[in-house]
Amino acid sequence: MGLGPFAQSDALTLGVELELQLVNTHDYDLVGSAPDLLRLLSRKGAPWDIKPEITMSMIEIATGVCHRYAEVHDQLAEIRDALVSCADSLNIGIAGGGTHSFQHWSERKISPTERFDYLSDLYGYLAKQFTIFGQHVHVGCPDADLALYLLHGLSRYVPHFIALSASSPFVQGHDTGFHSARLNSVFAFPLSGRAPFVETWEDFGTYFESMVNTGVVKSMKDFYWDIRPKPEFGTVEVRVMDTPLTIGRAAQLAAFIQSVARYLIVERPFMPGEGDYLVYTFNRFQACRFGNQGIYVDPQTNEHRVLSDELVGTFSKIEPHAVALGAQGACAELLQGLRAGLSDATLLRDEHALTRSFPEVVQRQCQRWRSG
Amino acid sequence: MIDTPWPAGPFEFGEVLRLALALFGAILVSEALRRFIRLPRIAGYALAGLLLGPMGLGWFAGQDMLRFRMLIDLALALLLFELGVQVNLRWLRTNLWVVAGSLLESGLAFAAVFGLLRFVFHVDGKLSAVIAAIAMGTSPAVVMRVAAELQAQGQVSQRILVMTALNTAYAIIASKLIIGGLHGAFREDWVLAVMHPLYLVLGSFGMGAALAIAFKLLRRHFDFSDEQGGALLFALLLLTLAALEALNLPSGLAPLVGGIMVKFIDPRPHLWPRYFGTAGAVLFILLFVLTGAAVTWHDLLIGGGMAGALLLVRGLAKGCGVVAFGPLSGLSLKQSLLVGAALSPMAAMALLLVQDVRLIYPAFGDKAAAVVLTLMVVLEIVGAIAVQWALHKAGETREGGR
Repeated sequence: MGLGPFAQSDALTLGVELELQLVNTHDYDLVGSAPDLLRLLSRKGAPWDIKPEITMSMIEIATGVCHRYAEVHDQLAEIRDALVSCADSLNIGIAGGGTHSFQHWSERKISPTERFDYLSDLYGYLAKQFTIFGQHVHVGCPDADLALYLLHGLSRYVPHFIALSASSPFVQGHDTGFHSARLNSVFAFPLSGRAPFVETWEDFGTYFESMVNTGVVKSMKDFYWDIRPKPEFGTVEVRVMDTPLTIGRAAQLAAFIQSVARYLIVERPFMPGEGDYLVYTFNRFQACRFGNQGIYVDPQTNEHRVLSDELVGTFSKIEPHAVALGAQGACAELLQGLRAGLSDATLLRDEHALTRSFPEVVQRQCQRWRSG
Repeated sequence: MIDTPWPAGPFEFGEVLRLALALFGAILVSEALRRFIRLPRIAGYALAGLLLGPMGLGWFAGQDMLRFRMLIDLALALLLFELGVQVNLRWLRTNLWVVAGSLLESGLAFAAVFGLLRFVFHVDGKLSAVIAAIAMGTSPAVVMRVAAELQAQGQVSQRILVMTALNTAYAIIASKLIIGGLHGAFREDWVLAVMHPLYLVLGSFGMGAALAIAFKLLRRHFDFSDEQGGALLFALLLLTLAALEALNLPSGLAPLVGGIMVKFIDPRPHLWPRYFGTAGAVLFILLFVLTGAAVTWHDLLIGGGMAGALLLVRGLAKGCGVVAFGPLSGLSLKQSLLVGAALSPMAAMALLLVQDVRLIYPAFGDKAAAVVLTLMVVLEIVGAIAVQWALHKAGETREGGR
């Protein structure tokens, strides 16, 4: 399978994918009920794009191509309602959050499809460790070179996206100290991290060909990059976010990414360069570990800032673009949460401090997911 | 009697030795069968019971059951309370097809067993009704222990547990209604015939509610998931059993209802050490040994033929009942069939109900007992295998799938 041409899509269109947790309502551990839920949903005959994921206690939902924040929100709400109603009749719970707080990876089961069997054979226990839940946001690009510009431009904002979405403080029944521990599981994959710095689709094609020739990859799917081009859709896909606890926040994050993308495309505030990536992994680690209290090193000036200050600055820079996209309300809510020091990760920690019980934390996650 | 500190023969061993040997025997037999033919552990315990009981070595007699009644009651109360907590009434309200399927499978099982006894074997109508009522129930002990042993999780496991909880409740209520009704009818006391069953059922619900409220109050101050919390739950259930005995109420219904109410009034996760730790394990092994030892050659001779026929019609009825509404309730056809198969076990609960009948009407109960005991001992072993098979086929066991 080659790289193929880069499909055309309208600039700044959005598509949002969310990976969700399926839990039982007795002890709130993960439960392998994805096939049951999918069967029930297919009986409803709805047009939604809902797919199994690598292990059977995960499910992925996706919006269609959207232009505006409101559209994303409404589509996600509609899918969420359908999911919740099916889950209710099966007595299972659905939760957001980047990790399940106390599941044991060895108890997971690989979904029986050819691709997942292949991944399980290749990656061994990493495949089951990959029972983590992320939000992916596709941003439409009219041409491939612009997509690569956007990819590298957005790379500077990866810490921002991580800090705003972080919702995975707990792993396997322990507090990791991280805000987003989920990304640590992604690092384990050999083809994870950043995309190579190439600026034209032709050069990207050359890179892709030589990777295929090494026999290491077969298709774009084999790259687990933080941001990757998706030529079939004509989009750039941002993959660093944890699934938030509510669809409300997921839609707000999409709106934020869309606004940043518009800011980059319209204002061209900087020219991306390989030098940007000197601080990339440091910045990313800081955001995962400390959330918006992490250090952000400006790739241009090497100035060190607290990420929350950097975020406040970013919000004001993108404001006109958010307004142009009808995303100002969503961005304002994110900013308000930031100022109040709220995030999904701190919220989960507070609930654990209150209940002293991981199952109860998950139960509350399910309640939050139903309505927020 | 010579006053000496040294031991002198002949040695006298009492109850303790027999219990110790029973435990030993059960564990050895069960472990061997598990390793060589992958039999569920509890089926091994029951087989050991058969071997040690009147049909084999004769260490235990059917009458021993009465002496260990407290032990059996406690083991069952623990299981039923835990089972109840897994029943989510809010879910049943959302998915009424589950309730419909449960009513249908139990109703069909009752009708099939009653019909066969009454019209084919020409058994007395009242006796047929009591046996049919008891046969509605699936053994909570077998289902829960096999599911726990396989660490099963998923739709099929969940449905099996919930269907079991519901049909156990029906079986207790119906058999008490029928017995209670008969009680009055024998004396031609119609007020008693109506009031007594009503007292048994309402009393059980009341005690269940009291248990649930006590649990919820205690949970404010204690963590049931630690060791002391587990012991506290033990104590609470013992207290409940004592109260039930004093009030002449059946021992099974209140703990089950109590568990269901706990989950209803407090939907938080309720967790305690599974199987109540080591003490629980000993209780459950003895429970299965004792039920295995409850049947005699005499029972088998009178009851065997009928029990075989009953086993078939009961299984068929339950299967059809579950399959009829299974797909509407969200299961696939295959899953529905597996749930139907897994509802076959009968064990200690049936034994207790038979004993209750025997206590009130010795002659009446003996005939019923032979049939039900034979049915029970077969379905305890075969049923456990069926549950294990169904959970494997459903891919819901820890080892199943990838």
